[in-house]
Amino acid sequence: MSDMAPILKAIEVGKVYGEGDNSIVAVDSITLGLSKGEILVIMGPSGSGKTTLLSIMGCILHPTRGEVIIDNRRISGLSEDELPDIRKKYFGFVFQAFNLFPSLTAIENVELVLRLKKTPKALIRPKAAELLEKVGLGRRTVFYPSDLSGGEKQRVAFARALAGDPPILLADEPTANLDSKTGMEVLRLLREMAEKDNKAVVIVSHDPKAEALAHRVVFIEDGRLRS
Amino acid sequence: MLWLALKTLFHERGRLIITLTGIIFSTVLTLAQVSMYLGKMGNATGVIRHIDADIWIMSKNVQNFDFANPFPEERISKVRAIPDVVWADRLILTWGFLKLAAGGQEQVQIIGFNPDTGVGAPWTMISGQPSDVKGGRYMIMDRTSEKRLGQLLPGSVWELNQVQFKLAGISEGTRSFTTAPVIFMGYNQAHRFMTAIVREDQTTYIVAKLRDPAKTGETIRALQAVMKDNDILSKRDFIKKTVLYWTVQTGIGMGFFLTALLGLIVGGAIVGQTVYANTMEHLREFGTLKALGARNSDLYKVIFSQVGISAVAGFSVGSLFVLLLRSGIEKAGVALYLHPLLFVALFFIVLSTCFLSAYFSVRKIRTLDPVTVFRA
Repeated sequence: MSDMAPILKAIEVGKVYGEGDNSIVAVDSITLGLSKGEILVIMGPSGSGKTTLLSIMGCILHPTRGEVIIDNRRISGLSEDELPDIRKKYFGFVFQAFNLFPSLTAIENVELVLRLKKTPKALIRPKAAELLEKVGLGRRTVFYPSDLSGGEKQRVAFARALAGDPPILLADEPTANLDSKTGMEVLRLLREMAEKDNKAVVIVSHDPKAEALAHRVVFIEDGRLRS
Repeated sequence: MLWLALKTLFHERGRLIITLTGIIFSTVLTLAQVSMYLGKMGNATGVIRHIDADIWIMSKNVQNFDFANPFPEERISKVRAIPDVVWADRLILTWGFLKLAAGGQEQVQIIGFNPDTGVGAPWTMISGQPSDVKGGRYMIMDRTSEKRLGQLLPGSVWELNQVQFKLAGISEGTRSFTTAPVIFMGYNQAHRFMTAIVREDQTTYIVAKLRDPAKTGETIRALQAVMKDNDILSKRDFIKKTVLYWTVQTGIGMGFFLTALLGLIVGGAIVGQTVYANTMEHLREFGTLKALGARNSDLYKVIFSQVGISAVAGFSVGSLFVLLLRSGIEKAGVALYLHPLLFVALFFIVLSTCFLSAYFSVRKIRTLDPVTVFRA
């Protein structure tokens, strides 16, 4: 299952929007660790702070307080200029709305990340094709997102998240826009990635199916972890 | 990032066409206005530029080449007396009425030059020689005025202020700012048109060539001391004075400038609007790029590449359009100055306008919160 040493640690992280009487506490003093090969599912009602926590863990959002440590490196102290490199190196993202580029074909969407990661030119196309093959879309590489089903789009998003081989995958409601069967397939794919490729996976979800395949589930309510 | 910029740009052809239309409109309007303005200024200063003289002497307060006033021609001796002067010659600029074969008459600008020296003669001849005007009532007319005057046949006889002149040659490319046809003739013949209203011993310009052009200022000061009733200008200053007169004092330059500026503003607004709308529509994609590890500078590259590519394509098409229309415009009597340097300068102006119009998009990107990518 998972390596014991956490690759990602969130220590006492909090996020407050606004100031004074108008301030809203989105995340309140949460401590979490995530190890390689582990699937952590974060559950909770809408507006509970799940996505904010995921954004903090993914170095997209600066916490108002607390620390994020990735691979023993303290992230909270890094400047805005240094964060893109951290995101590029450590994270693969899967979004609820897929967030594929409509002007790019499936393979080009995957290539985009490889290009961002400065992969040697000769390797970009074969690597992207291999990733699409891995998620079962080897025959749909030249299709534009508008010509793909919801499940296929999410598979392309998975292939894109895997491009560049990041150790951590963050998925925000990956099954929300999919039917039950496709949602299950997508979750199985995530589990396969975690186990086979030893990835640390965080899934934010309302979906009870996600709970079923998680190694660990945490519940969040009003920005706090529920014990 | 150029790769992504190109893919996105050509994927949305409708928006690309609108952007290109804005740039083409801007290019055509600006290029046409500026080249027309420069063409007009070229016409206004053509004779000054083509005479190989360093110094121009004219009556006091002459504002531009076309509106010359007479002064005593014997003053040329004062100019010739300056040791640094290699040669000095007189030039008459006056006006007359040419009777047309089809009936009616046309006001013409008459330039009287010395046919022995050729100073002030037309610079391009397509028929005959400037010296052909020597020894009688001969004249040279310019092909550009054929449309207004009728067919110009060498040897044909024309009546100018009721005096018959034979067409001895045809020049090319001599236009006046006022659009009045230009006629060249010998100095002595031109004198008769001027002396109809002033004394016989008058001229309108004296031009002089210096041994050392570096001494122009010094020579002008020396001449000014002995010719207090004249304005003495270097060639460069007379060109400048003529250009400034037509540009500033008549407001013509301002008209051209405002139209050219309007072209740039409208074009820039269209580009800015489409680029901004495009950015707003693709905010999620830009946010995704940020989440995937792209820096703001990478996203700026996408926007600026798209704007740059659009500017190059739009400017090229717009320029081609103006070049295709050129002969038609010039046939209508409007001179266009389309020097390669003008294209280079305007390209950079159009490109800068396009980049400037992308400012709001760049500002939006800079402040874009990548958290937006998690919103459904």
